Amino acid sequence: MNATRTRGVRLLALATVVALGVTACSGGGREKTDESDSGGGNAPGASGYTIAFVTHETPGDAFWDKVKAGAEQAAKDEGVILKYSNDPDAGKQAQLIQSAVDSKVSGIATTLVTPDALAGSVKAATAAKIPVVGLNAGIEQYKQLGALMYFGSDDTVAGESAGERIAAAGAKHPLCVIHQQGSVSLEARCAGVKGKVPGTENIQVNGADDAAVTSTIQAKLAQDKTIDYVITLNSQVALDTIKAQEQASSTAKVATFDLDAQVAQQVQDGKIEFSIDQQPYAQGYLAVSSLYLYLKNGNDIGGGRAVLTGPSFVDKANIATILPFVKNNTR
Amino acid sequence: MTSDPLISLAGVGKTYGAIRALRDISLSVPAGEVTCVLGDNGAGKSTLIKIMSGLHPHTEGEVRVDGKPVALGSPRAALDLGIATVYQDLAVVPLMEVWRNFFLGSELASSSFPLAPLKIKDMKRIADEELRKMGIVVADINQPIGTLSGGQRQCVAIARAVYFGARVLILDEPTAALGVKQSGVVLKYIARARDAGLGVVFITHNPHHAYLVGDHFVILQRGEAVLDKGRSDVTLEELTTRMAGGDELAELSHELGR
Amino acid sequence: MSSRALSTRFLARPEVGALVAAVVIFLFFLIVAPAFRTPQSLFTVLYQASTIGIVAVGVGLLMIGGEFDLSAGVMVTTAGLVASQFCWWFGVNLWIGALLSLAFCLGVGFLNGWLVMRTGIPSFLITLGTFFVLQGANLGVTKLVTGSVTSPDISQIAGWDSLGAVFSSSFRAGDSTIWITVFWWVLFVALAAWILTRTRTGNWVYAVGGAPDSARAVGVPVVRTKIGLFMAVSFLAWFAGMHTLFRFNTLQAGNGVGNEFLYIIAAVVGGTLLTGGFGNAAGVAIGAFIFGMTSLGIVYAGWDPNWFKAFLGVMLLLAVLVNLYVKRVATSRRSSDDL
Repeated sequence: MNATRTRGVRLLALATVVALGVTACSGGGREKTDESDSGGGNAPGASGYTIAFVTHETPGDAFWDKVKAGAEQAAKDEGVILKYSNDPDAGKQAQLIQSAVDSKVSGIATTLVTPDALAGSVKAATAAKIPVVGLNAGIEQYKQLGALMYFGSDDTVAGESAGERIAAAGAKHPLCVIHQQGSVSLEARCAGVKGKVPGTENIQVNGADDAAVTSTIQAKLAQDKTIDYVITLNSQVALDTIKAQEQASSTAKVATFDLDAQVAQQVQDGKIEFSIDQQPYAQGYLAVSSLYLYLKNGNDIGGGRAVLTGPSFVDKANIATILPFVKNNTR
Repeated sequence: MTSDPLISLAGVGKTYGAIRALRDISLSVPAGEVTCVLGDNGAGKSTLIKIMSGLHPHTEGEVRVDGKPVALGSPRAALDLGIATVYQDLAVVPLMEVWRNFFLGSELASSSFPLAPLKIKDMKRIADEELRKMGIVVADINQPIGTLSGGQRQCVAIARAVYFGARVLILDEPTAALGVKQSGVVLKYIARARDAGLGVVFITHNPHHAYLVGDHFVILQRGEAVLDKGRSDVTLEELTTRMAGGDELAELSHELGR
Repeated sequence: MSSRALSTRFLARPEVGALVAAVVIFLFFLIVAPAFRTPQSLFTVLYQASTIGIVAVGVGLLMIGGEFDLSAGVMVTTAGLVASQFCWWFGVNLWIGALLSLAFCLGVGFLNGWLVMRTGIPSFLITLGTFFVLQGANLGVTKLVTGSVTSPDISQIAGWDSLGAVFSSSFRAGDSTIWITVFWWVLFVALAAWILTRTRTGNWVYAVGGAPDSARAVGVPVVRTKIGLFMAVSFLAWFAGMHTLFRFNTLQAGNGVGNEFLYIIAAVVGGTLLTGGFGNAAGVAIGAFIFGMTSLGIVYAGWDPNWFKAFLGVMLLLAVLVNLYVKRVATSRRSSDDL
């Protein structure tokens, strides 16, 4: 027993050494360039403001990375100290806002995905004269909660404009793929699409398992040959859908929400018709900048209305311009 | 044959931290004899078993096997010296077939490689034969052993130990959970094992059962041996009285006197 | 000779409940879902079942051995991320990354087993800890290495094609695509079945799950056997992770969460006893097949997939009830056996 195990380890080590020797440094990996810092900016805290940035990010979603990147860049540019925190649970998010209030930050930027649960803490902030701006979610409710400004896209509007666009391209029976059960914003997007194309059908997939996503969509495309468009709500599902569509030999076209390097590539290759970008980087950047301007100069952005960062369409026509930004992880 | 007893304990004790579970026990198990260890719950019987079967090492004194001092590090080490233990509750794996249980831990395989195929046909045949030899007839060697009666399970476990070359058989309360009839069956196997030349350590709290098969008797109380006599020096009454607490019982009888 | 009725012996087999359920569900979807009736659909279902089933085999073995592994789902993603990011960062052949990832996964499996055996804390808690550690490390390390939470594109790195052939190739038979994972799945199930019934190791697996103290008392190396089982699970998680990596190229670092329960469900539906000591490989395979069939059958039937989880829960409850009944029948003593 011990002898065989030792032998196995030795073989493995040998194989590794041989493989290393034969093919050290193979192409296709990381491009080893200098880390180019995007903009010099001020020393942290030069302006003396501390801004708490609270989101409902579920760890591991590429989308929030960009929001955060935007916020961090704005903080750097404006010399603001940024305190980022997140929790997908509504109660805990409220707690995070409350603790920001307690630590007497200069301003709070927060997502308002569950307005009722967050109302109390936001009120506590306004009562303590801490300015609050909303971002990403809560476009309907931000004002009554007492937030000054709002930066984000409207999921229903985004869905509708996607619906309009595919309707114009002749879509009769699109499939809208929901990758997270019971998400209000995902449901709103699909409802928006359905508002413009009444034949829209929703499907639920397990977004945490690519193989499951692929086979479920493949099954759906096999079951209903009349599906002519598949609308996905994040980039990974879009890529899985392309695989499913190839398997099912379906001619359905793919369009997606959100953008990343892979999706951008597929847009360029024509596998994805278009991507609807709500520009998360801009949401993060603008939320922090607007607080900075408000604190510094009393500015009010948006003229009393929500500032929409999307939908912004990325398709073959403009992909060439956008691709570098995508690779930079800022779009 | 050497005159050394198969297994002998001299001044053996065991402490678990600050708790002394066993003190100064001397015991020898000669071949072809049944040594009975009697004691009430908590008297130290199970600690004694654990020392002899290699589950827990002793902390004082000396354990000798065939006259040589040993420190038994694991049940496997004890088994390799021919010391097999049959536990009251731990004798078998109930959901496994009779023949798998019979060979558990000593499977017949074509090589020692862990994934070497088992000789299943031989294993079934041998298990059946050995059980029959001991007078145990199971309806189907493939049935889960959990479907057998408690007495049968004990007997399979004993037969297994005998087949795998046990020279010392330690039986932990084999009759405790059994009815009168089934206890009789188990006692018959104990006698049979003794006649086959094995040294048997029979642990029980039932002096009647012990006296039926025993050659030598040790009574434990609070971790110490309070009686240590051969069959010819002791009567069933004495055993029963000492087991029941002797003086304490007399006192109790006085208190409850009517 | 054999007084045990044949029907009792048949019913006592762990996979019988699952087999009956599988046949019923299969017929059910054949009737209600026209799209289910094609060979393509069958192979899609088999693919879906294989991606769950490969890891489920290991989880099933582990559960027969009396332990749980909640880290298996995340470990699939970890396996892919380790291989992908190591090779991307250092620009080395993907085979090296794959082997490194294998060593890493086996190490985690060993650690799981060692901690469980060493501390005596239930595996449920230990592997819950590993689960959180891996989940966090997946995200944290990916963020550090790539600057985002998606693993990099590795399709241009040497070794991509050969590894793809091993882990995620497919071929067409008529109109259907058959994925290599289906064959791997069948192979692993067959191997597991063989080990369980035909080898000493298999005997030990049942024994350490059914009655660990009895097993130890007769000389079964309980610690080694259980650690080996944890490592078997991590090996299969690695395998599934390699498939996901070489089929999908980029992985989201947060993926895999929740699948650990699917593996356990497949094992339990397949007749594995939650308390250990009972079950078999074929049953777990049928459990995974049932999972694949229901998850896609609902889609083929054109129903609202929101109900899928509810359906799965009902399946699980039924399976547990059937198992309970079966165990009772299998171990009930008949009075005629008494001495």
